[in-house]
Amino acid sequence: MSMHSFVARFSSSAADPLSLSLQSRNATQADDEDAGIPIELWGSQAGFGSLASQGGHSFAVPKVPNPAEFLRMHTDEHEGKIKIQHGTTCLAFRFKGGVIVAVDSRASAGSYIASGTVKKVLEINKYLLGTMAGGGADCQYWETYLGIQCRLHELRNGERMSVAAASKYLANLVYGYKGMGLSMATMICGWDKSGPAVYYVDSDGTRMKGDVFSVGSGSTFAYGVLDQGYKWDLSDEEAQELGRRSIYAAGHRDAYTGNTVNLYHVRENGWEFINNYDISKLHYEGPGGITSEGYGYSVRTAEQTSRSAENDAMQEVEGDLV
Amino acid sequence: MECSFALTGKGYVLIAADMTSARSIVKMKHDEDKVKPLGPHLLMTYSGEPGDTVQFAEYVERNLRLYQIRNHSVLRPHSAASWIRRTLADSLRSRSPYSVNLLVGGYDVSEHEPHLYWIDYLGTMATVPFAAHGYGSYFALSLLDRYHNPSASLEEGIETLKRCIDEVQKRLIIGLGKFKVRVVDKDGVREIEI
Amino acid sequence: MAQQRSFNPYTENGGTILAIAGADFAVVAGDTRQTEGYSIQTRYAPKVFRLTDKAVLAVNGFAADGNMFVKKVKQRLEWYKHAHSKDMPLQSIARLIQTMLYAKRFFPYYVYNILGGIDEQGKGAVYSFDPVGSYERETCRAAGAAQSLVQPFLDNQIYFKNQTGEHPTHLPLPHVLQLVTDSFTGATERHIEVGDGLEMFVILARGRGSQELEGVAGIREVTTSDERERVFVINRDLKRD
Repeated sequence: MSMHSFVARFSSSAADPLSLSLQSRNATQADDEDAGIPIELWGSQAGFGSLASQGGHSFAVPKVPNPAEFLRMHTDEHEGKIKIQHGTTCLAFRFKGGVIVAVDSRASAGSYIASGTVKKVLEINKYLLGTMAGGGADCQYWETYLGIQCRLHELRNGERMSVAAASKYLANLVYGYKGMGLSMATMICGWDKSGPAVYYVDSDGTRMKGDVFSVGSGSTFAYGVLDQGYKWDLSDEEAQELGRRSIYAAGHRDAYTGNTVNLYHVRENGWEFINNYDISKLHYEGPGGITSEGYGYSVRTAEQTSRSAENDAMQEVEGDLV
Repeated sequence: MECSFALTGKGYVLIAADMTSARSIVKMKHDEDKVKPLGPHLLMTYSGEPGDTVQFAEYVERNLRLYQIRNHSVLRPHSAASWIRRTLADSLRSRSPYSVNLLVGGYDVSEHEPHLYWIDYLGTMATVPFAAHGYGSYFALSLLDRYHNPSASLEEGIETLKRCIDEVQKRLIIGLGKFKVRVVDKDGVREIEI
Repeated sequence: MAQQRSFNPYTENGGTILAIAGADFAVVAGDTRQTEGYSIQTRYAPKVFRLTDKAVLAVNGFAADGNMFVKKVKQRLEWYKHAHSKDMPLQSIARLIQTMLYAKRFFPYYVYNILGGIDEQGKGAVYSFDPVGSYERETCRAAGAAQSLVQPFLDNQIYFKNQTGEHPTHLPLPHVLQLVTDSFTGATERHIEVGDGLEMFVILARGRGSQELEGVAGIREVTTSDERERVFVINRDLKRD
């Protein structure tokens, strides 16, 4: 007789007195979260976990007229209350060689830099990557959950979940919590039967397929470099360089973006982590290697000046001064 | 920020919508298709709250398809629009209402007549010869009052639609770029190159 | 404008915690002062708790939520132990903490958690969390009222940031303990909510000798076996003004 059936045989009588006494003791107020826990998640049974209860995620919600307003009031960035860590600049683009995903690694809580080593690329599984922007916990939690669902899909259907399906799963899930205060803007990137794909999904319920996306407080700065250097026919090295340079650009100009760049490349057989680059080092020395030059403006233009020649005669002699 | 127009003519409805998808000051996409075919002779364009728009449009499309599967016949434009309006009106007093504005255009094959419906997020519906949603409506409606001809041929209708698009591109502070245009008539739904 | 009366379920109780991961040990420490506004509620309220022989959890922020959260974590670990006849490994405890925190995403525990201990490979590990469950493994982390005083000090002394020259990859235990003590004495001087006492938990990997801890004043062992991981507690006084 397994442990489970032993409990099941005796739990029905045990459960009723338990829940009854809980109810009577807490007639008016909330120990609702404990009373509401199903028997599978109580006591030593809880040690086994239960996928059966996974279907309905239940979240404790405060008993106030407007829970969303309550949450906003207490986690307000400006008021110095519960500071949730926010993530910042991420980008992903499709090209002939697959998908490049580049992110920074700074997490800010208000104006304090909570961490400079945050992993904002979430490895959902071997061939799917998700980026983190907005609330770190929201992204981490739901993309981990997405990974579980992708795996279940594989087991049930004998084939990998497509990027379109995975992103739709996430978008529909998050749409269900719309208005409750989730903050999440992510790019689901992968390579499936239809080729490389990038989907942008956010906590408003938006889901968009596209070739080039950048998300976060520094996204405008990243777009500036990314859009102007983007072509479908980039080589692998050029594409990686473009991703790296775009995050550097955002890190340089946006206060909430910085520390390091994490670079990934998704190919047909899965993703590959390229490297982690310190943004300060990129400024002065570039990514390393023989021909590496600093990305910083002053470094790049050290030899150049906009001073024009004194007179025309001199211009012929010093032709390349300007 | 989003802009959509529609007009009727002799035996057709033309619907156009911009193709920009924006988040705050950033244009995330410039090739977003916001004109959704709902059936062999029915088109709908949507605008409004991100997330709600696509979710609602897909909900409508799938329910109309389900009706077709169950009943072996297609809902006529008036009935479909009526159902759509009713769904929006019911959602208005729910915990979180769908915030979407729609233009529904269809060709009724039994009456040989095109129909155009303007529906807003409150569930208001009006049957109109021409319509617009968004800031573009401030420029287009008067233009259409002046130039619209309900018995115009398709070519003439396209010219009038082009006037609307040109006017918006000229006078609206936001550059909206390209527009997606579709027509629905007795032959069904197809895309038009402007 | 109508007057808004509402019950604020949160308050801030001050204090600071920190954790450092060594090659084969981990140190988790916290001051023992609990405040509310300008008042000291108590000079000794523990913020650091032993979960298993390999894991120690420090909680900071709103003390009521912190204490409750520790109770619930300990309860889940006990259930796990009964179900699986073993302690939960550290990385799983970290994931468990994420899901427990996220379950209250819409009514958060106002707690900043730092989990320290020994991982399955026998190396020191530190995991730090935000109130709704975002977490990362790190080498060292400070949290709480004086985090902006302590973390930069640790960045310099543990990660050798903004320093040039040779530096060791791993720091020895006595040196780390000294850094922890110095962090707290410094924080006590410059932050009103930090002081009274310091409680440090030291977790040693299996088989790692404890000679360096001989003769440390006021040290107390809380584990019983020599064969497995060992946990020690050191108490120190901090300024009470």
